[in-house]
Amino acid sequence: MNVFALYLLLCKAMISSFSGATSLPVVRHEMVEHYHVLTDRQLEVAVAAGRITPGPFGLYLVSVGYFVDGVPGAIAGFLALITPAFLIIPMLRYLGRHAEKPRIKSAIRAVTLAASGLLIATTVPMAQDSARTALTIAVAAGSFLFLVLTDRTTFWVVIGAALVGLIGYFVF
Amino acid sequence: MAALQSEFVRNRRWISREKYAVVYALARITPGTNLLAFCAGISWELLGWTGAFVALLGLTVPAALIVLALTGSYEVLKSNGAAMAAIATLVAAAVGMMLAAAFQLAEPYLNKRRGVYAGTIVALALILSLGFSFSPIQILALAGATGYFWQIPE
Repeated sequence: MNVFALYLLLCKAMISSFSGATSLPVVRHEMVEHYHVLTDRQLEVAVAAGRITPGPFGLYLVSVGYFVDGVPGAIAGFLALITPAFLIIPMLRYLGRHAEKPRIKSAIRAVTLAASGLLIATTVPMAQDSARTALTIAVAAGSFLFLVLTDRTTFWVVIGAALVGLIGYFVF
Repeated sequence: MAALQSEFVRNRRWISREKYAVVYALARITPGTNLLAFCAGISWELLGWTGAFVALLGLTVPAALIVLALTGSYEVLKSNGAAMAAIATLVAAAVGMMLAAAFQLAEPYLNKRRGVYAGTIVALALILSLGFSFSPIQILALAGATGYFWQIPE
């Protein structure tokens, strides 16, 4: 895939989201299902690499870009991550007074809720690929519960999951 | 963002509370990562385009380099059994993280007043995606139009 096309596709994914995480369904739809330039396993590794690193969630695009086209792809992913942020500047100039309108706020809320549904839909095939043994199912469920029930960050999930994997490898 | 408010508005008085609130509100409706839009907006207010550009690079380049190193390591570690065992549980954990992210997005709406809106829109998005293969863009556009006309309370 051409690097510029990759940048445009990843940009489209970011522009369709209202928080880094909600770009994931679009990335999977385009890269895994439509263009077949990425596997579910690579996308999962990209998400994990993005979450291990302190910073905004959309960082996984750098990893996605790298899997698709090496370092030039990673640069395309990085540029796709930061480009939409500049949209706030024309918005500050021209839309500042409309941001608090009830209908606009309601539309954003609905998009956020739909993104939640889309994120669940995206997780289904990824779970089928990665959570196939009792251990990995337990790790997936445990990670979900840990993040929902405590205030701790994903850093602890990452450390815990890696340790469980290593213990499982050396003990069993 | 709370730390920045205290530093920029109260301690340094670089920006007024009202302007800060407008940037904050617009960052929430700017497509992409809200935190990046917020930093770009505040920096643009303070130092123009150069400020916005430098702030975004400062915020993202170090983290992006770490992600790149981690991804590169995956390619190298593919043949190492122990590393792959750790990665297998890590990617399973990523599934849990994504489900948690989905839950946390909907969580503020899971109450008596807004639960019907949340349940309907999340369920419709799931059905349209898994059952009818609608693309994410189509679903998000439909949701935006729905929210515009079927107002979800504050």
